Amino acid sequence: MPAIEIKGLTKDFLVGFWKKHPVRALDNLDLSVEKGEVFGFLGPNGAGKTTTLKILMSLLRPTSGSARILGEPIDVVSMHARIGYLPENPYFYDYLTARELLTYVGRLFGIRQPALNRKVSQLLENVGLGQSGGIQLRKFSKGMIQRVGIAQALVNDPEVVFLDEPMSGLDPLGRREVRQVVASLKSRGVTVFFSSHILPDVEALCDRVAIMNRGRLQATGALNEILKVRIEGHEVILTGAGPRTIEALSGMCDQITALGERLVLRAGNSAQVAAIVECALSGGADLLSVIPIRPSLEDYFFEEITGTGL
Amino acid sequence: MRILAIARNTFRENIRDKILYNLILFALIMILSSVALGQLTLGHEDKVIVDLGLTSISVFGTLIAIFIGISLVHKEIEKRTVHALLAKPVHRAEFIAGKFLGLLFTLFINTAIMTAGLILTLMWHGGAGLQGYLRLLPAVYLIFLSLSLTTALALLFSTFSTPALSALFTFFLWVIGHFNYDLREFGRLTKSGALQSLCTTLYYLLPNFANFELIGSQNVIQGAAYYRPIDAAAVGWVSVYGALYGAILLGIAAAVFSRRDFK
Amino acid sequence: MKLMQSWRTQCRSWFICGIFFVAALMIRPVQSRIDTLLANPAPDQDLLYFAAPVMVEKLTLGYRSIVADIYWMRAIQYYGRRDEAARRPVRYKNLAALLEITTTLDPDMVDAYRAGSSFLAEPEPLGAGNPQEAIRLLDRAIARHPDDWRYAFDKGFIHFWYLRDFKPAGEIWLKTSRIAGAPVWMEPLAAMSLSHGGAMATARSIWQRQYRESDRADVKKNAMNHLLSIQVAEDMWTLEFLVENYVRKTGLLPWTLDDLVRSGYIKKAPTDPLGTPYQFNPQTGMVQLGLQSKVHYIEMPAVYREVFLQNLARQYPQYR
Repeated sequence: MPAIEIKGLTKDFLVGFWKKHPVRALDNLDLSVEKGEVFGFLGPNGAGKTTTLKILMSLLRPTSGSARILGEPIDVVSMHARIGYLPENPYFYDYLTARELLTYVGRLFGIRQPALNRKVSQLLENVGLGQSGGIQLRKFSKGMIQRVGIAQALVNDPEVVFLDEPMSGLDPLGRREVRQVVASLKSRGVTVFFSSHILPDVEALCDRVAIMNRGRLQATGALNEILKVRIEGHEVILTGAGPRTIEALSGMCDQITALGERLVLRAGNSAQVAAIVECALSGGADLLSVIPIRPSLEDYFFEEITGTGL
Repeated sequence: MRILAIARNTFRENIRDKILYNLILFALIMILSSVALGQLTLGHEDKVIVDLGLTSISVFGTLIAIFIGISLVHKEIEKRTVHALLAKPVHRAEFIAGKFLGLLFTLFINTAIMTAGLILTLMWHGGAGLQGYLRLLPAVYLIFLSLSLTTALALLFSTFSTPALSALFTFFLWVIGHFNYDLREFGRLTKSGALQSLCTTLYYLLPNFANFELIGSQNVIQGAAYYRPIDAAAVGWVSVYGALYGAILLGIAAAVFSRRDFK
Repeated sequence: MKLMQSWRTQCRSWFICGIFFVAALMIRPVQSRIDTLLANPAPDQDLLYFAAPVMVEKLTLGYRSIVADIYWMRAIQYYGRRDEAARRPVRYKNLAALLEITTTLDPDMVDAYRAGSSFLAEPEPLGAGNPQEAIRLLDRAIARHPDDWRYAFDKGFIHFWYLRDFKPAGEIWLKTSRIAGAPVWMEPLAAMSLSHGGAMATARSIWQRQYRESDRADVKKNAMNHLLSIQVAEDMWTLEFLVENYVRKTGLLPWTLDDLVRSGYIKKAPTDPLGTPYQFNPQTGMVQLGLQSKVHYIEMPAVYREVFLQNLARQYPQYR
């Protein structure tokens, strides 16, 4: 049984003041996430990521289609006891302290004292707010709110966690901490479904991704597969090549660039690479690196998106 | 239970809202100043204190019910705190019930404080003992019923309307709700059958606040001021009306809230 | 450059402050000017005055009790001004309306009916001088509380004292005496009133009763004034009666009241109940209160004089 199963999910919004016309925010989404996966949900603004998450949380009702979480239809409220959710740009009751908020959430899950107090203390420690438990949320910085948000999503030790832009507003330190949290969740077998703009983080964490654009699913699959498809060749960097070597090399590669002391060569296929390496070495140059050129997720992303005429 | 957790949180929110303290302070000042005012009536002091005291409790209670009630749900939607909340195993109806109970409890505490202030003022100033003043309690109870209904109204509007409009509608219905009998009489006096049916329908449809203020043709506050006993059976029936009408309002609120999308 | 900039900004701030200050100062004279240009707003238009008490009742929205108190306080303020009555004329025409509204909102407010009707009936400048309105008010009280003898009694008194209708007064009091709980003196009072001769005695007994039984200082004071006035009137009329006799006997007016003492009509120079001697005007033959008199004299109606003098003539035939 997949942890998350989405079939034909569609959402139309009615916009306009007098004559309302529908705008399709989500178009026939089919998606499946297995248990224990860390799944990345990507796309530019307005792609439908947050809409999807809200529908999964029953905050919005789909126009058509269905979805299940842990085998239960999404409109079964009791299923929420097994999941956690961090909304985008979260806002919590600013008159409560962090501790009070987490205690409140715990009560909603039916966790009783004294276990509740212990849990809350532990959560605060885990997200790095151990000292700030007694401060009112209205005095928190954005980063601290984000951390509280993660904490409140984990109060019930969920089996599936949904995070909408969990890194937003965090400094690099904070982002690393979130990455650690996600990693530890993964090691405990928790399914993590998160949407993000920050592609390096996604690359680092996710097993699989889905790329959304204008409400449609653009591509989905393991990251390696998506990106390997596009390996365009190799890049060789060397230094200390003499002029004759350089001349020889320029004939073997597609492109040769001088960067100060170094030479950057681009070669189309593996055979060329071998020849270049041999030539360079025999010419007495120092080989600095040989790496396959594959577009980063960012490049892939931009190409996919702009390629479809955004 | 979850509803109680939400109610408790709502209560905490209200307690930390400054407008509450201003209104309570105002009410207490009014009750105390009624002693001074009483001097002007040459011999009617007790009556004036009770009149002004109970009227203050009613008026300020209504203001609190409206001002806090109209933002009960709206504020959560505006500030988007509702997003995280509804992702928890909480039914939308539970949310409505919890908010309502939270504000109701706040009103209960308020009313209790103001009533205590009133009784203390009377004991300090007047002649009758505590026994006599405890007979004010049925009047306070009826006022509280009226406040509950106002709260339910404000809450209902809060689920789909902005605070300004909610306040307007709630206040409007509260005022109209005092004229139900006149509306029905008006219908009876006209020759038109259609108009009469309309008026009668409205009579049952609109919230009848006069129920809580007129028990057996005796104005409740006036009766309390003259320390007259109150008809217990009538109070019982009026309570049933309040519970029924309130439940209907909350039901509609829950239904409206259930169908909402939260963008 | 920077320094000059901030100096300029400072100057500007001061200038703006100055403008505001001047504008604020100008408000008062401008408003006064406007006031003089407008016709004087009628001071007798009371803000609380509504033509229809039913309207007020509807508008109170369940808070009629405190509103009744407010109207009552307003009505009292009118009467409270009676001591200033000499200084400026007070308009009482709203009083009836205010009392009507008060009693519509609170039909059980005893004082509003009783003290209110007495404020209404008292002649100007001490009261509104409107006994008919007083009777209307009491009729409403009687309609609402037919078993309370006090209102019927008050109504009879208005007829008796202010309208000088002894017969209707007596009839009302007779009916009142039949109400359960009516005091025993009601019937004899009715009888006294129905017979002309007892007018002054009836009045005196009623004012005495009111003085004894009321615990309101203003009501007591009013009753005392009436009692003193009755005494003064009787004194003066008696003295004038004796003067007339003197004139008939001697053919001349006495010079002072001491002449009456010397002639043996009275034992000593008469004083008013508070100790100031009466004065006699030899030109007109009228007796008056002394200039220093502390009595707050309320004029007696002529008809009482007639009745009193007739009784005196009957009592002392030697002075015919």
